[in-house]
Amino acid sequence: MTDRRNVSSIIRNPISRRSALKGLAATAAIGTAPGFVRYSQAQSSAPIKIGFQAHRTGIGASYGRWYERTTAAAVKLINEAGGINGRPIEIITEDDGTDAARGAEVIEKFANQHKTDIVYGTLFSHVVVGSAPAAGELKMPYYVVSEGYHVASGKMNRWVLQPGITDVKAQTRSVAPWITSNVGKKITMIYPDYAFGHDHRDFFAPAAVEQGGEVIAQIPIPPTETSFTRYFPQIPADTDVIYHVMVGPAVLTFVKELGEFYGGSGPALFGFIDSLEAVDINSPGLEFLEGSHFWEGMPRYLQEGASEAEIAYRDAVGLDENGASVNDPKDVSTNAHSFGCWETLYVIKAAMEAADYKGPEDRAKLIEATEAMTEFAEGKEHPQGDKVFNGKIHQCFGHQNISVVENQKLKVVHRTSIEDGMYEPEADYTTQTL
Amino acid sequence: MTARGVDRRYIGTALGLSALAAAITLASTAPVLAHAADRGHVLILPTGYYLFGGAAAVALSFLVLALVPPGCLDRLFSFRRSLAVAPTWPRLAASTASFLCFVVLVAAGYLGSRDPLSNPLPLTFWTLFWIGLTLLQGVFGNIWWWINPLYAPWRLLSAVLGRNRAPELPRGLGYWPAVALFLGFAWFELVYPAPDDPARLASVLAVYFAANLSAALIFGYEAWTRQGECLSAFLGMIAKLAVVEGCEPRRKRRALRFCLPGAKLSSAEPLPSSGVVFLLLALSSVSFDGLMRTFFWLGLNDVNPLEFPGRSAVVGIGSYGLVAMFAALAAAFFAAVALGDRLSGKSAGIAAAAGALVWSIIPISMAYHFSHYLTALLVNGQYALAALSDPLMNGADLFGTAGLHVQAGIVMGARSAWAIWNLQAAAIIAGHLLAVVVAHAIAYRLYGSAARATRSQIPLAILMVVYTIFGLWLLSSPTAA
Repeated sequence: MTDRRNVSSIIRNPISRRSALKGLAATAAIGTAPGFVRYSQAQSSAPIKIGFQAHRTGIGASYGRWYERTTAAAVKLINEAGGINGRPIEIITEDDGTDAARGAEVIEKFANQHKTDIVYGTLFSHVVVGSAPAAGELKMPYYVVSEGYHVASGKMNRWVLQPGITDVKAQTRSVAPWITSNVGKKITMIYPDYAFGHDHRDFFAPAAVEQGGEVIAQIPIPPTETSFTRYFPQIPADTDVIYHVMVGPAVLTFVKELGEFYGGSGPALFGFIDSLEAVDINSPGLEFLEGSHFWEGMPRYLQEGASEAEIAYRDAVGLDENGASVNDPKDVSTNAHSFGCWETLYVIKAAMEAADYKGPEDRAKLIEATEAMTEFAEGKEHPQGDKVFNGKIHQCFGHQNISVVENQKLKVVHRTSIEDGMYEPEADYTTQTL
Repeated sequence: MTARGVDRRYIGTALGLSALAAAITLASTAPVLAHAADRGHVLILPTGYYLFGGAAAVALSFLVLALVPPGCLDRLFSFRRSLAVAPTWPRLAASTASFLCFVVLVAAGYLGSRDPLSNPLPLTFWTLFWIGLTLLQGVFGNIWWWINPLYAPWRLLSAVLGRNRAPELPRGLGYWPAVALFLGFAWFELVYPAPDDPARLASVLAVYFAANLSAALIFGYEAWTRQGECLSAFLGMIAKLAVVEGCEPRRKRRALRFCLPGAKLSSAEPLPSSGVVFLLLALSSVSFDGLMRTFFWLGLNDVNPLEFPGRSAVVGIGSYGLVAMFAALAAAFFAAVALGDRLSGKSAGIAAAAGALVWSIIPISMAYHFSHYLTALLVNGQYALAALSDPLMNGADLFGTAGLHVQAGIVMGARSAWAIWNLQAAAIIAGHLLAVVVAHAIAYRLYGSAARATRSQIPLAILMVVYTIFGLWLLSSPTAA
């Protein structure tokens, strides 16, 4: 089998495709040359194979497209700068269909068929949760970019790590001090009535109370609901701020109906950009969001005073000032999440170099090297900002952005400290045997 | 089987089960980011007016038809204008080329990229062939007759094997082979967890092709591609909607004539019951493709649409849904035809009436096909252009489109959502309007008088009004994925 079958449209990114393609074609030629010796035995310049578990189809496809573009951009830069330990990265894409059972199959395929060094890149939590046992069973390092609390909770296993994106518990905790100090102390939460909404309810409410706030009402909305006006009378009249985390196709309806209900006045709003990832803020129905605030992992819009590293990152990925594709202004990115791919790849690079990683026999060393990391400095490897990594719970902690909707764009008005999001670890993966 | 083989299979099964178990038990710690999606923009459009307007237009068209003088439609539908007389020799050449493309694509399925949006096989098959060619057939006629990749290998093998005299299908078999194959095809497309997986699709298509080539050798090419091989059968039927009519080949030439859309349907040979079932299955499967993504359907089956677990978890629900949708449509259609036959006052027989009137659902089938797959065609069509230019991802750029930046934005945002919704709604309404007209023309032939035809069509017209509303509702309701 040649390496060609492993190449994906990841390299169709116009910024990187042709040059990346040349590199990959060259490695393909090496791979098929007569007398080729597998790199695990001898070749020091053979590629590092990273299995990219991608949401190419299914419910996660919009995110998947940007995860691929970001991955392509980072890999191109890493390879141009000499790769990892002098070896180029080769990305092998397998579509998981955003499907938990297929996720596990894909891990097995990476391990047994493609023989990748590691697996990386999963966003949707049910796919991570479905794939993690396979990664543990097959002793395959599994670097996810999922944002869920499942890694830090200790419910995965030692082979699963999340070093490139913060988790929802930290995110909700870190915005609590700013909300209670700047927007109001009496908070009503509106959230979808399932795990995602419950995480916000369970993590944010105690954090708000710690900061002197008070959650005066919690309004769960059934996930299949598509009209919301009948829930709004449950919002107490003395509410200062509505904390909303609605997701799915009915988000625009939710905002529109909320606007119609309050008619231009009403409590302040605080939301999570998860609700509107890949959706233009300047869309009909979202006018009521003007002046409201959102959490953003990484700013969608180019901010005044953005660091050089952030500008370089945006240029490499192909983001315009509005956070859409430079080639397609209507294709709005999922930048609040997809930056995590970039940062995770650089963590993998650093960990492989620290472990002097040679091949699959060093996978355990790679896990230990990752666990030994404590800090990531802000810079081109970490354009979102510096981070702290807790090796026991395999989770990083970082700054969060709070942005206001101004002229139908998001403008960052506050950057939380890393400490704002820290919490007591509930697990220690390092006690598990490798 | 080696011990290692056993181990791997065991591990595979165990991993699959543990993955599902873990996903279920850990669901409480599993936030999922359901994308607001472009259906969100449609949800805030005044789609209710379209539903009402569409239903009214279809109902009104029925009333207007009742006043149209008898025979008027017949004369319109009989209109033909000669376009060309084409030699039939290009058929063999085109089929050979098509067969070679098929072989290359299947090889690419195995040897090319593992990414379904980079490999040309899934993109060509699902997007260009199943979506694109079906639409072309519906407009321009039976292109598939010329390019079917089965034809050239069949000609070669039948010459080698000395089977020049084509036997016919056993009479009782009717369209049942096509029904069985189409059920399998629809299940693979809509229910199977990974129909886009390049290697799996390559295997499925290779087996399908080999099996149907063998069947064509046994039962005869023309008979098998009409009543056995389900894709050719479907494409041949859809082509009867088109404005080009290809006459039966005569002395290695084939006359092509222009006709009005739907004209060929009104005079088509009535189908046996198995053929009726086949067409109803085709329409119900694309309807189910829309239904199975709606919040309504997922909620009905206790699946949280905001946390859609993936297709693996809904195989059972999808399987019964596909069959139930067909059963519901078939029951409604036969009931409408039977009731109409009784209302006519001069029974033509339910089977005969159904066999003739079922042709009127072809425009609806075409409208559903267009509306449901429009966005996929617009985006995946671009991926297909890129993938075909570099089929093995080895740096080739055969058509200069390998580096194409796929403009996914073409279907994104409020303005696109508005434009797409209007195109979809127009297609659904136009499809049903044409269906009512065609059904009326068929009924006039069946029952011999305008009054009887009109009476006979009341139940079917009601069904079409309901199906218009259903079609528009499917396209305007919230969906997952």
